Amino acid sequence: MDSRVLVIEDELQIRGILKNALEDEGCHVCEASGVKDGLRLVGELNPDLILLDLGLPDGDGIGFIEEVRGWSDIAILILSARFDEKDKIAGLNAGADDYLTKPFGIGELIARIRALLRRKPRGQEETSPYIQFGECSVDFSKREVIRGGKEIHLTPIEYKLLTVMLSRPEKVMTQTHILKSVWGDSYSDSAHYLRIYMSHLRQKLEENPSQPKHFLTEIGVGYRFKQ
Amino acid sequence: MQMKSGFPLADKFSPLQRYFLTAIFSVISALSLTFFADNLDHANIVMPLLLVVLLVSVNLGRDCAVFSAVLCVSLFDYLFVPPRFSFEVNDPQYLVTFFVMLVVALTTAHMASGLQKAAADAVKRQEVTQALYKVAQDLAGALTGIQVNEIISKFLLQQTASKAWIIETHDNTVVRDDMTTGSPFSIESHMATIALRDKKTVNSSALNGADWASLYVPLSTSMRTYGVLSVANIQNLAANLKMLEALASLIAITLERLHYVQVAHKTELEMVSERLRSSILSALSHDIRTPLTVLVGLADSLSMIRPPLPTPALETSSAITQQALRLSNLVSNLLEMARLNSGDVKLRLEWNHLQDVVSACLQHLNLALAEHQVITNLPSNLSLVEMDAVLMERVVSNLVENAAKYSPKGSCIEIGATEDLDNIEIYVSDQGPGFEESKISELFALFMRGEKESNKHGFGVGLAISQVIVKAHHGNIYAENNRTGGGALLRVVLPKGKPPVLEQEEVD
Repeated sequence: MDSRVLVIEDELQIRGILKNALEDEGCHVCEASGVKDGLRLVGELNPDLILLDLGLPDGDGIGFIEEVRGWSDIAILILSARFDEKDKIAGLNAGADDYLTKPFGIGELIARIRALLRRKPRGQEETSPYIQFGECSVDFSKREVIRGGKEIHLTPIEYKLLTVMLSRPEKVMTQTHILKSVWGDSYSDSAHYLRIYMSHLRQKLEENPSQPKHFLTEIGVGYRFKQ
Repeated sequence: MQMKSGFPLADKFSPLQRYFLTAIFSVISALSLTFFADNLDHANIVMPLLLVVLLVSVNLGRDCAVFSAVLCVSLFDYLFVPPRFSFEVNDPQYLVTFFVMLVVALTTAHMASGLQKAAADAVKRQEVTQALYKVAQDLAGALTGIQVNEIISKFLLQQTASKAWIIETHDNTVVRDDMTTGSPFSIESHMATIALRDKKTVNSSALNGADWASLYVPLSTSMRTYGVLSVANIQNLAANLKMLEALASLIAITLERLHYVQVAHKTELEMVSERLRSSILSALSHDIRTPLTVLVGLADSLSMIRPPLPTPALETSSAITQQALRLSNLVSNLLEMARLNSGDVKLRLEWNHLQDVVSACLQHLNLALAEHQVITNLPSNLSLVEMDAVLMERVVSNLVENAAKYSPKGSCIEIGATEDLDNIEIYVSDQGPGFEESKISELFALFMRGEKESNKHGFGVGLAISQVIVKAHHGNIYAENNRTGGGALLRVVLPKGKPPVLEQEEVD
C-alpha cells in the first residue's frame, strides 16, 4: 500500500511504535505531536489517513476532528486512553471513522488501518449492488438476501437496518446514527428498537447470534459490520 | 405608629378642647352675624351657620359637627328668630326652618366627615401598600433567613407595633421547640404545628397581650410550606389580618427563593466535584495506559521482526502482551471501583439485550479465551433489561476471565441466561476446581482470592467490582459450585422491570 498516514500523538514512544508498524505496511508516515502541528500537516500533505490521540496536551481532539471534517473526508482513527465511552462517542459523532482503546495490539491496529484505507472516500463508494459475508450474500438490486443457498425473509425495518450496517463495512456506527438512519430523528433515544432488531438480524444471518462474526457490538458506543 | 383620624385639627387637641373650640367658633360666628341681623334675610343667616357646621365637621370630626349643628340651630333661634334673645318662637313656621336646618347640618356633618374618613383610609391603605412594597424590595435583597426575620420584625414593629418572628421548617410538618429558640417571645408550638399542617392562619386571642405569640400564619407557596410567621402583641387584628397574610406570602416566596438558591449552589458544588473526580480518574487512566500501550506495542513489534525471532523469544513477547493487557484490565477495574465508591454514581441506564453484552465481552476477551471452549446459551427471545451496558459488560468479562483463569486449558466455559416473570439471570459456569464452601461468603470481599498463595493472576478486584455494579442495578450476584460435574457457577440476577413496548411493524 502506498498511502500517506499522519500520526498525531504526544508520546514519543507510541509514535515510534506506530511509525514502525505503519512503515512495515508500506505506508508513508508523517508525525505531529499536537493539534496545531497536526492541522498544518493535514493541509500540507493531504494524507489518506489520520491516527489521532484524543488526549493531546495542546488542544481538544474533538475540535480537531470537527475542523478537519469541515473541508475533508480523510479517514480518521481515534486512539483513546480515556476512561469514558463519552469521548469515543463524541469523536465518532464529530466525524471520526473508528477508534481503538489503549492499550491495543499491533495486529488489531493494522487490521483497522487496512480496512480504513481500503475504503473509498465518501461519495466515491463502490456502488456494487452485491455484497457477500460469511455464508450470506445480499443483492441490493433485487432486494434479496441469501444465506446458505436459501432466501431469507427480512421485514422492511430489518432490511433497512441491514443496508445501513452494510453501507460502511468495518466502520463503527454510533447507535444514535443507526437509530436516526433507520427509524428517523424522533427515535434517537429509543435504543431498545435497535437492540431488538439487531438481535433479529443476527438470528437470521449469523451462525451463532451470541458470538457474532459480522454484526459486532461496540459496547456503549454502537455497532460495527465486519465483512 | 398611632392611628390617624384623618382630621387636620382633631389630632392636636383633646376631645374636651375640641368641643370648646367648636363652641367658641360657632358662638363667634353667630354673634358676628348679629351685626347684619337687620340687613339679612333669615334664610341668608342660616346659610353661613350651615357653613360653620361644614367647617367644623371637616376639621374637627363628626362628634364636634353634631354638637355644632345643635348649637347653631339653638343660637339661630336665640339670636335671630323673633322674639330675639329668647328661645321662644312666635311664628310656628320657624319650627320647619329649625328642623330642616338641623337635618341639613347633621347630614352635612355626617357626609363631610365620612368623606374625610374615606380619604384618610385611602391614604392609610396606600401607606400600608407602600410599606409592603418597600418590604418586598428589602426581602428581594435578603440572602439569609436571619435577614428575612430582621426585615419582617422591623416592618411589623413600625406598622402595627407588634412583634414578629419566623419559624423556619425545612422538611417536616411539626414545629419542635428547638426551632423556636431565639424568638423574642414565647411560642405555642402546638398552634404553630396546626398552622403549618393545615396551611391555615391560627389565632388565639387568649394569648394576646401576654408575652406569647397569639397569631400563626403559615408561609406557603404552591410548592410547599416553608414555616410559620408568629406574631405577638397585636392590636386591631381584624384591620391588619389581610396585610399580615399578604406579608406571609411575601415571606414564603422569599424563603422559597432562598431554598432554590441553596439547591442550585449545592448542585453546582456536586457538579464541580463530579467533574474534578472524573478528570482525576481520566488523567490516571491516561497516565497508566500510555506506558501499557508502549509495552504492548514493543512486545508486538518483536513478534513482527523479519526474519522471525527464535520461538522462546516469540513466546516471551506474547506473554508480555498478555500480561500487559491483563494489567490494563485490572486498572480498568480499579478505576471503575474508585468511581463507583466515590458515591453518587450515575448509571447510563438503557434497555439492553444480553446478547450485546455477552458478544462484546467475548470479542474483548478473545485472547484470554483462546485456550478454552466457549458455549453460549442465550434464548433468542430474551427480554431486554435496563442496565448500564458498559458496566454490565465489565461484570460478565470479569466472571468469564475468572473462569478462564481458574479452569484447565481446553475445558469448557458456559455463558447463558434464563428468565422468569420478575428476574433475568446470567450465569457463567466452568469446569475448574470450584470454590471451597467455607470461603464462598468471603469471595466478594476486596482482595480475596479463591486459593491461598495461588499462582493464578488477579486480586479479587474483579469479583468485588462486579458485586458493586450488580448491586447498583438492584440485582444480586451468587457464587456456588456446579451441582453436576463440579466447577464454579456464578449467577447474576437482575430485576426485569417493565421493558418499553415496541410498535409492531407491519409485516408484508
